Amino acid sequence: MRKIIKNPMSLAGLIIISIIGILAIFAGYLSPFDPNYININAILLSPDGTHWMGTDALGRDVFSRMLHGAQISLLVGIVAVGISTIIGIILGSVAGYYRGIADTIIMRLVDVMLSIPSFFLILAVIAFLTPSIWNIMIVIGLTSWMGVTRLVRAEFLSLKERDFVLAAQTLGASDLRIILTHLLPNSLGPIIVSTVLGVASAVLVESGLSFLGLGVQAPTASWGNILTDGKEYIQFAWWLSLFPGLAILITVLGYNLLGEGLRDNFDQNT
Amino acid sequence: MLNYLIKRILWMIPMLIGISLISFFIMHLAPGDITSNESAFNPKASEESRQKLRELYNLDKPIIVQYGLWLKRIVQLDFGSSFASHQRPVLWEKKDENGNIKPGLIQKALPITLLINLLTILLIFSISILLGTIAAIKKNKIPDRMITLFVFIGFAIPGFWLALILMYSLGVVNQVLPISGLHSIGYEQMSKLGQILDLLKHLALPVFISCLSGLAGISLYVRNGMIEILNQDFIKTARAKGLYEKKVIFVHTLKNALLPLITILGLSIPGLIGGSVIAESIFAIPGMGKLFYDAVLMRDFPVVMGILTIGSILTLLGNLIADLAYAWADPRIRRGLAK
Repeated sequence: MRKIIKNPMSLAGLIIISIIGILAIFAGYLSPFDPNYININAILLSPDGTHWMGTDALGRDVFSRMLHGAQISLLVGIVAVGISTIIGIILGSVAGYYRGIADTIIMRLVDVMLSIPSFFLILAVIAFLTPSIWNIMIVIGLTSWMGVTRLVRAEFLSLKERDFVLAAQTLGASDLRIILTHLLPNSLGPIIVSTVLGVASAVLVESGLSFLGLGVQAPTASWGNILTDGKEYIQFAWWLSLFPGLAILITVLGYNLLGEGLRDNFDQNT
Repeated sequence: MLNYLIKRILWMIPMLIGISLISFFIMHLAPGDITSNESAFNPKASEESRQKLRELYNLDKPIIVQYGLWLKRIVQLDFGSSFASHQRPVLWEKKDENGNIKPGLIQKALPITLLINLLTILLIFSISILLGTIAAIKKNKIPDRMITLFVFIGFAIPGFWLALILMYSLGVVNQVLPISGLHSIGYEQMSKLGQILDLLKHLALPVFISCLSGLAGISLYVRNGMIEILNQDFIKTARAKGLYEKKVIFVHTLKNALLPLITILGLSIPGLIGGSVIAESIFAIPGMGKLFYDAVLMRDFPVVMGILTIGSILTLLGNLIADLAYAWADPRIRRGLAK
């Protein structure tokens, strides 16, 4: 923790993420209005004291929608990355620890998944299922585990030959015990870095999907679909396009800064 | 070299089988029969085309037979015809019953996307090599900090948002650049040079948007590669024997830093192809990405499956070319293979 604060990059990232995280968690309390309340007397108002980020074409308060959108974007990002990290750790552990045929099959599967353009893959799956927030999380998670798998496998390959692992094996520790208490804790650094960077790209993918109308569906607010609604009015309601884009930019920037800062720290340790 | 080439091409076969398995699996994700209305299948499709679909995918046969037949069709590059778009063939032109030629959807869209991606790659490489080299030479000084900042923003900025802003500021308010389509009105009457200029003008914004994240990533890659090589012994030797700094940087260092870029180029292909969905649908460019997006919206499954497969095959080919280029460009590998 002290190292995160010492590195200006990860500190900046951590501050950004914390602020956005707090805003998202307390969106219900912080929102001045109901995010889905339609007020036909307050259509497309520019930002002022009451509506901090103006109102949209249905008279809904953009600031409240942005806060609730933060909740959705972060939830999708974190759950999706949780799914991909769990898959990656399991497959990577099996491949790296047991080698042999399991390793060959898993690594070929990684190669195959990496050769299908991932945005095509995600859209294709969404075409066959219906777009909903849960499907989006699962689909993003199921199409982004390849990096973690490779990483965990590589870490295991080098750790496996180390003396402390040989010692544990000699003492008769079970495979599961060696993986969980010796190998995984020692590969945690790179896994955390890839998880943090993964949230950044998942937030971008979700907002892209929602922007295309294939992600989070109305009336649920997400940064992507606020932007889609707003783009029709870009000529006379700039606030509808400016704020969601900025929010995505800042959030992704925050996760990237933290991730890269952490990577620097771990690199210095080794 | 020939042995390597053969091995490398043979290796693509299990990859293609894997890709076909995944595509097949996705196709069966839809709840129930993919031709039924319950699966939110396009209700406009006629009973006739539904029957065609059932025959196309052999839905009445056991699953393993279905997969075998699907694989056979992929090998023959037969993707059937679209439900929408006047039932045009998905991949390549075909004659219909009346003897009229129906042009293939991918046949028309692919050259456009390839052109955009080629321009994108050219631009990414020329600019990122420049930025990466400057950042490495001025490590930890102002130019390096500026470039690092640019890299982080480039990574984080949503492409569709920037596209929207640029479209509005350069296309609507200032009207410097066209904002949609590939050609202006009156394109047919222009001279050859005028046509090329018109096309480039239309491609300027989409190519710029497609470049952005790649540009950031590869600049960073060149910078870090240069810094690592600048610390190596042979560079110290080059400097010690009194070579000009320019020669040290551009001949000894850059040459070595650029080699791994060939591999990175191969790896970035799926991202570029996939990324074309957003850029092309915003700027209404009739390429693979827009075709795919429209097909997804209309649940035009033959087109979705066709593009998914062709996109993956393109990626495999791109990786193949990158690997061969690397083997050819790196004397260490080239000599190793020659032995």
